[in-house]
Amino acid sequence: MMARRRWLVAVAALAIGLAAGAARAAEGPQEIPLTIEGHRFTPAEITVAAGAPVVLVISNKDKAAEEFESRDLRIEKIVPAGKTVRVRIPALKKGTYAFFGDFHPKTAQGRIVAE
Amino acid sequence: MLPTFVIVLREAFEAALLLGIVYTYLQKISRPQHYRYVTAGAVLGVLASIATGVVVSYLSGPLLDLGPDLVTAGILFLSVAVLTWMLVWMRQHARAIKGDVQRRIDEAESRSRLWVIATVAFAGVFREGAETVLFVWGLLAQAAAGAGWASLIGGVLGVAVAAVLALAIFNGSKAVSLPTFFLVTSVLLLLLAAGLFSAGVGRLQGLGLLPLTGELWDTSWLLDEGSFVGTLLHGLAGYRSRPTSLEFGAWSLYLLVAGALLFGSRPTRRSSPRSGIARGATPSNVHLPS
Repeated sequence: MMARRRWLVAVAALAIGLAAGAARAAEGPQEIPLTIEGHRFTPAEITVAAGAPVVLVISNKDKAAEEFESRDLRIEKIVPAGKTVRVRIPALKKGTYAFFGDFHPKTAQGRIVAE
Repeated sequence: MLPTFVIVLREAFEAALLLGIVYTYLQKISRPQHYRYVTAGAVLGVLASIATGVVVSYLSGPLLDLGPDLVTAGILFLSVAVLTWMLVWMRQHARAIKGDVQRRIDEAESRSRLWVIATVAFAGVFREGAETVLFVWGLLAQAAAGAGWASLIGGVLGVAVAAVLALAIFNGSKAVSLPTFFLVTSVLLLLLAAGLFSAGVGRLQGLGLLPLTGELWDTSWLLDEGSFVGTLLHGLAGYRSRPTSLEFGAWSLYLLVAGALLFGSRPTRRSSPRSGIARGATPSNVHLPS
């Protein structure tokens, strides 16, 4: 009885591991970290390859919410205080795409350069 | 102080405009007793905004990644539907207000449907509400930490000016004749809804659900979307300094279809249900030979 249960657990663990691996492989797009601190973006300039979608992983280290916004990309995304949000950026043509923090537009400025 | 003032005013601008128009509309058709529907819708909108602001702050993972975006896109299209409904409804009423019998029928009809006007108020307030709540929340946190009282005052002033705008519409249009009021607000709501529709399409493009088509033109040198006038015009009529072809297509298509629905010539149907009922009421006056 015990042996059988151990065997089941092993199979389940393997299945979960495989599924997770498959999911990671299927996720595909490159992840790029972006930090908000002191109402500024770091890095302020992100270079991506043109024609391939990426995922921005935006962490807000401030005590106030921020809104990641890009008029060029039609993206508005609230990043609550102390939270991390993943934003999918579609495949871009070559060019420069500006973004800013809508709640602190004076300081929070940045751009994505697709090459 | 000024930046927060501009941000809050911008978020509250559309809501104020809509509430001003809806209240005035009810006053114009002499149904002030229905103000409460609008007030209830607006209050619900504020409560839902606060709830969403709180919920979003506690979410994490995929729910936080996609949830708010889908809600926002949904609210955009819901607003378009509700505004279109209101336009058509206003148009029907404009024709119905003439006769006394029609007026009574109208009233009965409107009682059963007026809750929908509450959704106009709700959608108008809720659309940018959660965003404003989170923004003001951040200002409060900063103020509580001993800094940024000036920005908090800026935020409060933003809401106040928006409220004054709604009141100005309400008071200013009292003297305006009914046909003029209908015409002006119809055009305003039409442009507003077209702007919301194209913003919804833009959102779907940003989410990758629609392809990011190239931009049609660039007028940012003339009127930047980020400028004060630019953002107000964006809120009012969906102005984009660099629209994608899909956005512009959606905007024009909505204006064409809804405009035709509103201003297109309608055949005057003698056998409409309304005049049918009016005629049905006359037999009580007819004395049958006994």
